[in-house]
Amino acid sequence: MRLYWKVVLINGAVLVAATLVLVFGPVSVSRQPAASEAAVLLPGLAVMLLANALLLRSSFRPVEKVVAEYDAMLERLEDERAASNAKALAAQEQERHRIAQELHDEVGQQLTVVLLGLKRIEQQLPPDLGEELATLRESVREGLDDVRRVARQLRPGVLEDLGLASALASLASDFAAQSPAAVQRQVAPGLPPLSPESELVVYRVAQEALTNAARHSGATSVVLCLSRVGGSVVLEVTDDGRGFDPTIAGAGLRGMQERARLVGADLTISSTRGATVVRLAVPVAA
Amino acid sequence: MTAARILLADDHALVRRGVRLILDQEPDLTVVAEAGDGAEAVRLAREVEVDLVVLDIAMPRMTGLQAAREIGRRTSRGSAPRMLMLSMHDNEQYFFESLRIGASGYVLKSVADEDLVGACRAALRGEAFVYPGAMSALVRDYLDRKRRGERMPETVLTEREDEVIKLIAEGLSSKEIAQALTISARTVDRHRENILAKLGMRDRTQLTRYAIRAGLIEP
Repeated sequence: MRLYWKVVLINGAVLVAATLVLVFGPVSVSRQPAASEAAVLLPGLAVMLLANALLLRSSFRPVEKVVAEYDAMLERLEDERAASNAKALAAQEQERHRIAQELHDEVGQQLTVVLLGLKRIEQQLPPDLGEELATLRESVREGLDDVRRVARQLRPGVLEDLGLASALASLASDFAAQSPAAVQRQVAPGLPPLSPESELVVYRVAQEALTNAARHSGATSVVLCLSRVGGSVVLEVTDDGRGFDPTIAGAGLRGMQERARLVGADLTISSTRGATVVRLAVPVAA
Repeated sequence: MTAARILLADDHALVRRGVRLILDQEPDLTVVAEAGDGAEAVRLAREVEVDLVVLDIAMPRMTGLQAAREIGRRTSRGSAPRMLMLSMHDNEQYFFESLRIGASGYVLKSVADEDLVGACRAALRGEAFVYPGAMSALVRDYLDRKRRGERMPETVLTEREDEVIKLIAEGLSSKEIAQALTISARTVDRHRENILAKLGMRDRTQLTRYAIRAGLIEP
C-alpha cells in the first residue's frame, strides 16, 4: 500500500475510534466545560495522540531505513571518490618523481658527458673547427638546461635534498623573481618533522597559493609563513591582492583541498578585498 | 709550482672521467683520487692527502652534501680540504646549503665546462665561488636592505656597477646583462667580481656570515 494511503487510514481509524468513544462512552462536554470533563478529555486526547504516533511510526520505519541507507551510500561514495582522487594524486606524484629522477640520472648525466667531452676536444682542434664545436656545445648546454627545467617542474628536488624550509625559501625567491610583489618568508625554527607526504602537500599548497597570488591578485605584498600552532604545523600564505570568492572552487583550489585531505590536513581559505589567506594545518604525528 | 691535489666524487663513471680530463688538462690541477659514492669519498678524504674535494650532490649510499658535512667535521682538527659541490639542480638553495656545511661553492653541471676550473681555483684560494642564481638572491637582499635604509658596509659602487647590480637582482644572466648594456660578457663578469669584493662576499667565511645575517641560511 502507498505510504500516503496508509497515513490517511491510520489517522482516519484513530479519529473514528475517538468519535465513537465520544458518542457512546460516558463522556459529555458542556457548553462551558467543567474541570471534571477536562480531566477525562485531556487523557483521552493524550491516548489518541499516542496511538496515532505509535501506529504512524511503524509505517514510517521502512522509509527511515531507506533514507538512512541513502545517506550512508552518499557518504560512502564521497569517501570512495576522495580515496580514489588521493590514490590518483599519489600515483601522479610517484610517476613524476620517477620521470624526474630518470631525467636527472640518465639523460642529464649523458648530456654532461657530451658537454665535457666537447670542451676537451675543442681545445685540441684548429680554431675554425673549434668554433663550430663551440656552437654544438651551446646546444648541448641548452638541452641540459631544458632537461633540468622539466625535471624541476615535475619534482622539487630541493624538498627532498634540503628539506621544507629550503624548499619554501626557493619558492619565495622564484616568486620574487617573477612577480613585482614583495615576498616575506617566515619559517619558525625547530619545527617538528613532518612525513615526506605531508611536506610535499605543504610545498604544493604553498606553490599553488603563490601562483594564484602572482597571477590573479595584483598583490603588492605576500607573506609566506610556516609555524607551529598546538599540535599542528601551519602554513599561511597571505596576500593583499583584490581577493576572490573562495566558495567558487576552481581546479587549483579543489586540488589543494584534495591534497590536504590526503594527509588529514585542514585547508581553509578566506578572502576579502585586500586580504586573502590560504591556511593549511597539518597535524603532527604524536 | 706543485699542482693542487683533487679528490673527485661522482657516481656516474663517464661524468667522472669527463671532469677528470678537464681538470687534468690544467697544469695547476691534478686529480689524485676518485670515488663512486659519498661514503667512499669520506673514506678517501681520510686516507689520501688532498687539497680540494669535488663532490656531486646526487650520489647513492651517502649524498654529496652528507659526505661534505662528514669530511668537514672529520678533518677539522687537521687542515680540512676545500670543498666544491657539483650538481644538476639549478637552485640557489643548494648553494646556500653548500656554504652552510663548509663548501666553497656550487657548480651547475650544465656550465661545468666553463666554470669548473675557475671555481676550483677560487676554492683553492679560499674564495667563494658564487653560483649566479644565488648572486641575484644575495644582491636582491642587499638592495632591499639599502632601500629600507639599513646600515650597510661602507661601499662605493661605480655607476656601471650600480646598473649591473640592478640587472643581476632582476635575475638576468651575464649574457643578458651584456646585451642590455652593450658591453662584453667578460666585462660583466669582471663587474660581478668587483661587486662581490666590494660587498664583502668574496671570501667564503665573509659570504657565509653575510648569508646568515640576511637570513638566507640558518647558522
